[in-house]
Order: sequence, then structure tokens, then C-alpha cells
Amino acid sequence: MIAEAVGKSTENWMSVDPLTVGELRSQLLEKYPILRDRKFQIAVNQQIVDESLAVPSQAEVALLPPFAGG
Amino acid sequence: MSHKPKKVFVEGPISPQFISDSIAKHQSKTEIGAHSIFLGQIRADKKEGGVVKGIEYSAYPEMAEGIFHQIREATFEKYELTCMHIYHSLGLVPTGEVSLFVFVSSPHRRATFEALEYIVEEIKAKVPIFGKELIGESGEFSWKENK
Repeated sequence: MIAEAVGKSTENWMSVDPLTVGELRSQLLEKYPILRDRKFQIAVNQQIVDESLAVPSQAEVALLPPFAGG
Repeated sequence: MSHKPKKVFVEGPISPQFISDSIAKHQSKTEIGAHSIFLGQIRADKKEGGVVKGIEYSAYPEMAEGIFHQIREATFEKYELTCMHIYHSLGLVPTGEVSLFVFVSSPHRRATFEALEYIVEEIKAKVPIFGKELIGESGEFSWKENK
């Protein structure tokens, strides 16, 4: 859903300063305004984490639309 | 107790034959006194553009397998179960067919009722599985969202 909106399924995200998950979300919304009206959670290294936590370097970050299993 | 991660995802719908074979495999486990089974079936919801014809499932597979494993471990911790099987479809599952099969067994019934509900609710809330509802004949779709 998000890959379709932004036209790509992966991207390397560079940052000079350490980022929290919430700051990364803001930067993503700035680069991809289309995400502003999409609901998504952010997983860091395959875990949903609190957005006040820092993103470790080399982390695998995934934007996850609402779940629909079942 | 730690259990090996088991394969959950199957391609396409889960067939009645697969489900009955799973039941049959438990006849040799004679300490079991009760089984409970949950089957999630694709509903023909009416949408603006027509009726839902099926759901195309996708997932963030590495994370999903990890969360399924966590749910299994937590369930064995909480309830007295002899065994537990979870299968979920990926790809297209047409309306009326089964996309989720949860099967729990225990010496006694109560543990199976409670564990089954716990597992299904945990899957719906925590596993990164995504579903595209295919609507009508026109190629229209909408993304499903668990409530």
C-alpha cells in the first residue's frame, strides 16, 4: 500500500545526526507528503517500537499499513 | 519451554482436506481430550463498487514469522495445551474459502476455548499481514483493516 503510494519498496535513509523513530516519521512525511493521509506503524528491526526511541545505525525500518490478518 | 518456529504461511486458500488431515494426525495423541478449531473465511462484503470477490494477502514475512512464534510461546506459557497449529494464507483467497486455521489441543476443553480466542485476537492485532479486498469485476480494490 505504501510502496504503491511512494513508487518504491525500499530506500536507504541517511542521517548525519541520530534520529528517533518519531523524527524519522516526520522526515518521511516531508519527503513523501502522500503518506500524510495514510495510517502506518513503524517497525525497527522487525519490532514495533515507541516513537521516542532512537533508530540504531544500520537498522531495518519498515512502514507497516494497518494489519488485516485473519 | 521453547518450541521451534513453525511454518505458518501457505500459498492460497486452506482446503477442507488439509484441515481434516490435520485432525486425523492427532488420533495417536491419546492424552488429548479436547480440540478447538478456528477457521477464518472470506466474507462477500458489499462495497460501493460491488461485492468482495476475494482477498489478496501479503505480509512482511520475516517479522510475521517472528510474531507468530512469540504468540505461540506466550500461548503455551498461559494455557495447558498439548499442541497448537496455526496456518495463514498468502496470495489470493476467494470469497467463501478459508484463510486462517488455528487448531489447539489439550487434555481438557476449557484451555482450548480460551487459548483459541487469545491466539486469534493476537494474530489480528499484532501480525504484519496485509489484505487487498478485490471488488467486483472491474479490478477495483480496497485495503482491509482489522478492527
